[in-house]
Amino acid sequence: MKTGKELKPGTVIRIDNDPWLVQKAEFTKSGRNSAIMKTKLKNLLTGYKTETVYSADDKLDDVILDRKEATLSFISGDTYTFMDTTDYTMYELNAEDIESVLPFVEEGMTDVCEAVFFEDRLVSVELPTTIVRQVDYTEGSARGDTSGKVMKPAKLKNGTELSVADFIEIGDMIEIDTREGGSYKGRAK
Amino acid sequence: MRVTWDIFCTVVDNFGDIGVTWRLARQLVAEHQCAVRLWVDDLRAFERLCPAIQVDAARQWQQGVEVCRWQGEWQPTASADVVIAAFACQLPDAYLEAMAAREQAPLWLNLDYLSAEDWVVGCHGLPSLKHKNVQKYFFFPGFQAGTGGLLREGGLLLQREAFQADAAARSVFLASLGVVPAPDARLVSLFAYENTGLASWLDAMATGGTPTHLLVPEGRVLADVLRWLDLEQMTPGMVQVRGALTLQVLPFVPQDDYDRLLWSCDFNAVRGEDSFVRAQWAARPMLWHIYRQEDDIHLDKLEAFLHLYTAGLSPDARLALQGLWRAWNVGGEMAGHWREAERHWQEWFEHAERWCLEQASRPDLAAALVQFYRNWL
Repeated sequence: MKTGKELKPGTVIRIDNDPWLVQKAEFTKSGRNSAIMKTKLKNLLTGYKTETVYSADDKLDDVILDRKEATLSFISGDTYTFMDTTDYTMYELNAEDIESVLPFVEEGMTDVCEAVFFEDRLVSVELPTTIVRQVDYTEGSARGDTSGKVMKPAKLKNGTELSVADFIEIGDMIEIDTREGGSYKGRAK
Repeated sequence: MRVTWDIFCTVVDNFGDIGVTWRLARQLVAEHQCAVRLWVDDLRAFERLCPAIQVDAARQWQQGVEVCRWQGEWQPTASADVVIAAFACQLPDAYLEAMAAREQAPLWLNLDYLSAEDWVVGCHGLPSLKHKNVQKYFFFPGFQAGTGGLLREGGLLLQREAFQADAAARSVFLASLGVVPAPDARLVSLFAYENTGLASWLDAMATGGTPTHLLVPEGRVLADVLRWLDLEQMTPGMVQVRGALTLQVLPFVPQDDYDRLLWSCDFNAVRGEDSFVRAQWAARPMLWHIYRQEDDIHLDKLEAFLHLYTAGLSPDARLALQGLWRAWNVGGEMAGHWREAERHWQEWFEHAERWCLEQASRPDLAAALVQFYRNWL
């Protein structure tokens, strides 16, 4: 069983005996309202998609999934091809299947990902918690701040924007925490 | 056949939960010809809003609503066509089974608390858990298109306008509460949780240039009022004067009288959810004391409302209103903000009327629920 709060992209839950892949999960808690998890689900048998809302403590049947290590081989349009690092089998996923990690997927990345399989079929890919990416563009340091507390926008090679420390420059390698949408962690050593 | 509705309400620690569900139940009966059972776990709290309630009765009829006591062991009960679990309360297991046993599954709704936050629009009306063949949906009240709207009875605004245009009706109503304000006094109502900022606000009103008559319905803020007055006790009807400020304690009044109280006042301080919405229909300047939550997460909700509510104000008036509301909700110094507020009184007044009309242009919550049911069918 998983609670509503534990749902995350890549989780597969069973509803009416059908397996549903969580493609996106957004947690919200405010005021006296219920703590809720809004999810985007895809039926793995029919491809039908829907959105749902669960209370944080709702109990859901989760499906035990196989997991293997995989790396990105290449991107062709909206199709992302990953390779099993042990037997070199190639698997394809659509962009929407990896929507939650897409901002940090880019051609040439070497991260060893966790490929998630349902009945021998690749349904999702999870990135490592920490990844390293190169800053493709950012403005120069405005205030000469070196504390890391002053932030500014930056762009990665694939166009993803995120806030980085003011002292980061174009070409710098940065660490990114991929949980909860992804956030700048520090300059890569 | 009338559509049957079961509304379940657990009274948490205030009057907001029962206030909202009681109002909704009455409106569904009166305006949508629904047969409504209201299940309440604390009839004593309910009695404050509806004095006719018999607190020991297992079942009773009040204003067309079948009020059922929801305590002790659950007795087998057939499910209604529409089931509302108000504010995420947990339905009895046996009732869930009764829902699943129906030939046609009922519509099961979680009616959540009111919020102006953007995420509400994206979550309103979405499906949630299933219990066997019964699908639950989340239903969010709100201020924006794409939400369930606000509770507003048909004809409410016309009643309010007529009352506010009739000085004699106002005087008669206030006199029925024992309130006889001086002709030049500004009338203010105060319904709030405990608030450390109150003393400085009272100081400001007591030393201000405008005579103020402050009406305090019995409630949690009264202890702070007594502390400021350096009194042990004030019973309903009692009046105290400090400088330009006249303070008067009122009894806790039923919902319809509370509406008239809000309509009678020039400024209303309200709290929680139900009185907050009613103050908006009163179309008078107001101050909201939001229900406090751990880690101050309620402040996001406050800011979301301020963002919407102050959108039509001039920059100065907006800043003044935001300053007053924020100070009140952190128990901060109020005097300076109150004096600033007085500079924008007329603009706030006109804005409150505009906001009221804007909100009233959307379907009300009861109508939205009925429509949701029809669409679901």
